[in-house]
Amino acid sequence: MIKAKQYTCIGCPIGCPLQLQHEGKNIAEISGYECDRGAKYAKQEFTDPRRDMSTTVEIIGARWKRLPVKVTGPVEKDRVMEAARKIHELRVRAPIKLGQILIEDFLGQKDIHVVACRSMERIN
Amino acid sequence: MLDRMEGQYDVVVVGGGPAGMGAALGARDSGAERVLILDREPEAGGILWQCIHSGFGLHYFREELTGPEYAERFLEKVIDYDVDLVTNSYVSGISVDSDGTKSVRVMNEAHGMDTVNTKSVVLSMGCRERTRGSIRIPGTRPSGVLPAGLAQKIVNLKGYLPGKRIAILGSGDIGLIMARRLTLEGCEVVGVFEIMPYSNGLTRNLVQCLEDFGIPLHLSTTVAYIHGLDRLEKITVAPVSKDLKPDMNRARDVKCDTLLLSIGLIPENELSLSLGIQMDVVTGGPRVSSTLETSMPGVFASGNVLHVHDLVDFVTRESLLAGQFAGEWAQGVRRPADNIRLVPGDNVRYCVPHSLSPEREHTIYMRCKEAMMPCRIRVGNLMEKKLRFVVPAEMIIFKIKPDLLDKFHGDTLRIDILPAKKGKRHD
Repeated sequence: MIKAKQYTCIGCPIGCPLQLQHEGKNIAEISGYECDRGAKYAKQEFTDPRRDMSTTVEIIGARWKRLPVKVTGPVEKDRVMEAARKIHELRVRAPIKLGQILIEDFLGQKDIHVVACRSMERIN
Repeated sequence: MLDRMEGQYDVVVVGGGPAGMGAALGARDSGAERVLILDREPEAGGILWQCIHSGFGLHYFREELTGPEYAERFLEKVIDYDVDLVTNSYVSGISVDSDGTKSVRVMNEAHGMDTVNTKSVVLSMGCRERTRGSIRIPGTRPSGVLPAGLAQKIVNLKGYLPGKRIAILGSGDIGLIMARRLTLEGCEVVGVFEIMPYSNGLTRNLVQCLEDFGIPLHLSTTVAYIHGLDRLEKITVAPVSKDLKPDMNRARDVKCDTLLLSIGLIPENELSLSLGIQMDVVTGGPRVSSTLETSMPGVFASGNVLHVHDLVDFVTRESLLAGQFAGEWAQGVRRPADNIRLVPGDNVRYCVPHSLSPEREHTIYMRCKEAMMPCRIRVGNLMEKKLRFVVPAEMIIFKIKPDLLDKFHGDTLRIDILPAKKGKRHD
């Protein structure tokens, strides 16, 4: 039996309303998208939903108390809270450079790192 | 970064957020030699530093960046371009000499009051958040009621949480993003309440910030009362009738220790008003020509001080342009005055700029009053453009080519958003 799932594309601010028809695990048709990102997104949401992830970690010796960080590849949707808890265990010291790797191969994923989203000087 | 200002400038930019940085780069691009950014914070970059989520730069850099990454890239450019940058400096006034020279009065944390002379000025002070006072929520005045963007600064820069059990009034993007942010930080977000029957946030934020975490969005519902003596204890929420008045018969209490307000932004125009420049009552920003010049010659404006944008990429684009024209002006270029007034018509809340000239291509920024889908934008009798939909929360941007304006002989060009023509299928 063919079933339909609705998604809202998050690829850009337009937010295309997407429809994905599927039979079990097989996708029959995707419609409603304005660009290829929409089709790709619906397929991704259906098979392996992931989210971009950014948060902050404690930093010592800098102008601010928190350093913004991000994961360089999308995190499995169901593991977002777990990922946040893992990242929050981190505590870094200034100076930090933009793009500096803070956790390598995050959540066991090769070449997906937690990196600094800005530089912060050392301030005494 | 400079410790203090030096000598005479071609262009002084008031505010070092994305608008100010863009304007300074635009001014240098135009050939202006001496460009100065003044910022009241300890570092330039504005609100971007606290917007740690991704979604910035898709249009401008063709890649998705977080706010801090976007800020740092621009800040590096500003330094590369030899722009003078002075922080911890608040511009308290601007005066204009008979020869057009502007004196900018600056209050600096370390050096006190000072004055700097410049040929042109770009206003890029951004905007600030509306507060509880601006919507007059009845009740007591406990701590724990604060604007969502302030909470963002507290969490992302200062490193503490505003509370544990959070309610959010208003479904603007900042509110939605804070719902996710606080959830990730271990807070419980009990719900987002929106007085309108639709959300004001971008769809992707509704999906990623609320749906993903099972945070309920209550439409057509508002906060009718605030309870608590020292600290917020609970709020009374009530569905609203058609005239947006809370129906107290259906009210209920929600326990929370924090109420975040995401109820809109106000362009920060005290400086513009003190200059006596003409304002647009709808945008809350200055009225500007197609060169983004205000009614005071040599004073330009761009970014959220002009009208509240939803994407920083568009702030950058607009500001680069404002900076270029400000730089030109400083070098003595005087373009002919615009001869076409641009006015909002059916279902158009506002459009910027407020006038056009046939000599150049123009980018028009506008917002609709009500959602409509499918629809078309009609620009006088010159052009029509089909759109899949328009919603008030998303800015509409389109270009008008100069050859089109050449054919126009009137002095007022009206923009309408109309339902799509019947019979024609739009795809």
